[in-house]
Order: sequence, then structure tokens, then C-alpha cells
Amino acid sequence: MSTTTAAERQAALRIVSRAFGALTGRRGEELRYAMMDDTPVGILGLARGARGLRRVSFVRGEDEFLERLLAENGDAQILRSDELDDVRRALDRYFAGKRLDFDLAVDLSELAPFHRRVLGATAKVPAGRVATYTQIATRAGSPRASRAAGNALHANPVAIVVPCHRVLRTDGSLGGYGGGLPIKEWLLRHEGALL
Amino acid sequence: MMGTSEPAIPASAAHRIALLLAKHGEELARHIRRIVCDDDTAQDLLQETMIRAWKAMERLAPGSNERAWLYRIATNTSLNHQRSRARERAALSRHAAELAASRDSDGGGRDDADRTGLWAEVALLPERQRLALSLRVADELDYDEIARRIGGTAEAARANVYQATRRLKLKVRQA
Repeated sequence: MSTTTAAERQAALRIVSRAFGALTGRRGEELRYAMMDDTPVGILGLARGARGLRRVSFVRGEDEFLERLLAENGDAQILRSDELDDVRRALDRYFAGKRLDFDLAVDLSELAPFHRRVLGATAKVPAGRVATYTQIATRAGSPRASRAAGNALHANPVAIVVPCHRVLRTDGSLGGYGGGLPIKEWLLRHEGALL
Repeated sequence: MMGTSEPAIPASAAHRIALLLAKHGEELARHIRRIVCDDDTAQDLLQETMIRAWKAMERLAPGSNERAWLYRIATNTSLNHQRSRARERAALSRHAAELAASRDSDGGGRDDADRTGLWAEVALLPERQRLALSLRVADELDYDEIARRIGGTAEAARANVYQATRRLKLKVRQA
């Protein structure tokens, strides 16, 4: 795969896009996805559209991820691609502890405005630090909506890159996590926020 | 957007095809393109591959390697295409050589440039004539069979082959 030139890849994508449209009649947005099969936190599914990263999901396998993508993006043209190599590399660096923050465009436009604001506030919490649900709700403009903020964080479609794992309860307990609490704990230890 | 020439595929099959295409489309496209070296042909062949895969899906044993299976279909589809192209070219160039030889017996000279020119003329023949000629000389079909494949009557097929041959002979004489 690494010997493939960019031009060759582009040509292949054009071919498959047209064949895709002809076969299925789908003409929607193009969504590229990739899998990371053995990370310290299990299997990750990644997906990116034209405007940025749309998914970093904890999944059991490619089929589950793909079915989910198809269900959630009915008219999108979904295609496995090594175009997401930069995302994979960034996550590899993160897991290796070489670089804990991400310089990737994220596309949250499919979410409701409040959810977007909550995740926007969360993205500003640096690695090694944590915030509380109340603090995030306040930064999102609704100080009393900490429970709603928790829901927004639970529904975060771009795990790890938008670091919802850095948000805890006010009493310091972990709260919840979409990928499961052991993963939240692992991520926080990895970042040095927990000892 | 769907043209009438596009295959009709039921929704559930479209979903399965969409899954297969989503998972393996890009690498299959690359694979096919390496065999045929042409984007438009590769697109047709990828589409053909997915249709064949869909038709053969029921025969795929559960738990078998889907990716390897798709690669096999793509490879066979592409190689068959290459082979029939090669057969067509070989037969047409044989035919061209025969025409040139028949001109030789008329006392004319002959060189490779003539043949190259003749090749270009074959390419310029009207689609039906070129097709009829290639089915006649490459696949050695009778006129009834040619008519079945390209439509029309056997007489029309014979006329097409005759016109194509006449046109080529004329070009050879002019050269």
C-alpha cells in the first residue's frame, strides 16, 4: 500500500466513485473511513468528510463500524481509504506518548448547536488537565445544563481527538464514558492527569 | 440520474454491494487499473466485478475470505477483458496482413507503414462495421451468430463485414 502514488490513489478513487454512483444510485457526500485494529484502547473506526474528521469510534470491528456509518449517513458515499493515514499517524503518536494534542480539522456540523458548543469547549482542555461537567456547561454558555453537557459528551462522535475523557464529575469521580470507564481511566493516566 | 442502461439492483443487494464496494472498492480499482492501464475501462470492469460478485454472493461460503474472493473476480474479469482485446487485435492485424498480401499479388509494394495505416483505418470504421468485422475474423462466427450478438439480420451482418472489407481494401490501394 505504501508504494501507491498519490496520483494512482486519486485515479482509483475517481473510478470507484463513479462505479459506486452507477451501482447504487448514491450521490451524497463522500466519506472516507479507515480502521485502527490494535490500539491500547481497542479497535477504532475513523471517518472523514470533505470538511474534516467526523468519527473516531470505539467499535468491535469493521463491519459494525461500516453498518453504523451507513445507518447514520444514508446518502453518503462511504469508502475505505488510506487517505486517512495522517489521522492514523496522529493517533499513533498520541498512543506512543510522543504528541498528546491533535492538529486535525474536525467537522461537527451534523450536531445540534449546544452539542457543538460543549465539544468546542472540551477541545480546549489541554492534555494532562481535566474539567468538570459544570465547567464545560458554563463555558458552553449554559451553567445549569451540566447533565445536558454530559449527554453531549457521551454522544461525542470524535473520541480522543475531541477529548471528552478529560471531563469529570465535580467530586473528582470519573463519571461516564462512551467507550467504557476503563478506557477513560487509561487515557487520563496516559496523559498524566491521573496517577 | 440512473440511466436505463445501468443494471437494476434491488435495495438489499444494493446495500450488500455498497458494503463490499465501501470496504474494497479503492484497492480493487487500483488492482484493475494496473491490469488494464486505462481509467474508463477500469471503471467499467470494477462495475462488472461488483455485479458478478453480487450474483455469486450466494455461493460464497460463510466465513470465507471475502477480500480474496473479490480480488479473484476482479482479476478474472480484467484478464478476460485483456484477452479478448488481444484476440481482437491479433485477428484484425492478421486480416490487415492478408489484405496487404492480396494487394501484393496485384503487384504493389508493402511495408510496415502500410499496416500501421491500415490499423488506423480499422479504428476509424463505423462501430457496427468494426464490430461485425472483428466478430467475423477474430471469433470466426457465422453471420447468423454475428447478427444475434450485434442485432439486425444475418444479411445486414454480412453487408457490414463486406463494407468494412471493401473500405479497407480501398484504403490499401490508395496507399
